[in-house]
Amino acid sequence: MTVRAATLALAAFFILGPLLSLGVWSFAERWTYPSPWPQRFGLRYWARMLTGDFLDPLYTGLIVAVIVTLLALLFAVPLGYALARLRFAGRTVILLAFLLPQAFPQLPVFASATREFYRFGLAGTMTGVVLVHLVGGLVFAVWTMTAVFRAIQPELEEAAYNLGASVTRTFLTVSLPLAVPGLVASALLVFLYSLDEFTGTLLVGAPFVTTLPVYMYTASVGYELQIASVTAIVLMVPGALLLLLLERVLKAEYLVFFGQV
Amino acid sequence: MLAAVFLWPLGASVVASFTREGQWTLANYGTVANLYARDVAYTIGVAAAGTALTFALAIPVCGWLRLRAFGPVEFLLKVPLFVPFVVVGHALRVFWSPYVPSFSSSWAGIATALAWKHLGLAALLLLGAFRGTDDSYLEAARQLGASTGRLTRDILVPMAAPALAVTGILIFSSMLASFSIPLMMGRGGGPQMLMIDVYYRYGQHGDFATASALGVVAYLLAMGAALVYVRRLTR
Repeated sequence: MTVRAATLALAAFFILGPLLSLGVWSFAERWTYPSPWPQRFGLRYWARMLTGDFLDPLYTGLIVAVIVTLLALLFAVPLGYALARLRFAGRTVILLAFLLPQAFPQLPVFASATREFYRFGLAGTMTGVVLVHLVGGLVFAVWTMTAVFRAIQPELEEAAYNLGASVTRTFLTVSLPLAVPGLVASALLVFLYSLDEFTGTLLVGAPFVTTLPVYMYTASVGYELQIASVTAIVLMVPGALLLLLLERVLKAEYLVFFGQV
Repeated sequence: MLAAVFLWPLGASVVASFTREGQWTLANYGTVANLYARDVAYTIGVAAAGTALTFALAIPVCGWLRLRAFGPVEFLLKVPLFVPFVVVGHALRVFWSPYVPSFSSSWAGIATALAWKHLGLAALLLLGAFRGTDDSYLEAARQLGASTGRLTRDILVPMAAPALAVTGILIFSSMLASFSIPLMMGRGGGPQMLMIDVYYRYGQHGDFATASALGVVAYLLAMGAALVYVRRLTR
């Protein structure tokens, strides 16, 4: 029993300590070294949340995330279905290629992409940011959708074919409805990825497109630690909701098949 | 899509790393060797320390969780998976700053923050591997009086060795390429992480050629890790 309590206490301190300190900082109107505790508490920095400084990047990020999620799924649903059902040459290569953006150092690639984007007038635009988010988002979308379709028994589709349904009709009335829970999980993962994406947005979006992670970085560079802390807390909300949702409804198994060809 | 926005720029940066003012040259790698050799070593060191710390925390806790399930701790371990990288960097900066202001930008500070973030992934993969080991071995050892620590060290770890290796490689290469966490933790004096160098070389100096050469060094380091992974897949 004591081992349990001690492990829980240690884990709670190590994991939650830094997150709680964000909370303390967000209310600290004055906290200078070496005081162990803020000298003055207040809501001044939370009030800043209601201004355009904060709301504009929030809206930009949400709009980008919605577009990225829709595009990624539009692309990943047919591709995932093909990868799960058809045995064609290069299947493994395609799957592994969709792992690259997560396996490779992203920053030098995104720096290079920014230069290419300049030539097409895409740097500093929403379109550019959507494109760069789509690359990372597709990793999640393609891998989850492939796993989801693979988990659906082919016999169900064969039964529909035997009753005379066409390929399209079978897909729309049998496979797709069965894939809805996985589709939702996939959409949430992509949405969260896009909302939290920093590296690509910083490079491609600069100087006109700012999302919350970039806003947070700018605040932290300017030593506005409180503003950055408020933003950090807001940024954690969608992830926390997803964690609880996965825990309750969807189960973390959706995350485990990554890298299994 | 993937080709246009990822593979093409990847290729372009490799080409750029071998050219300077339109000429094929190795001069960019000369600059890397002259200015950044120390940072490359530093980056490998920080990533190794971060990986070691992640394992030092994850192995005992996951071994313990495998042998006696305890929901609250398992839930806590998953939390870092859902916290964005930028937030992790900032949280571990402000966590230390009132008490040890210089810690966050030191090598130990960066390694700790990286370990914090990767604990979630490590726990997910290690618990999966530990739970895949057969109960009968554990039962037999327990009958002979082995403690949780002994069971973890002598049975779970050796039996899950391949999974541990893959987890280690994934985490190590992710830490090598980490950018947002060290960026948010602030720049101390002394050596920097490789990706920070790439960013400043490109953004501040506008020197894309040298930035790309630094990038290629990072690709090669990541590729070593990827090769081990693919070899395991095809075996």
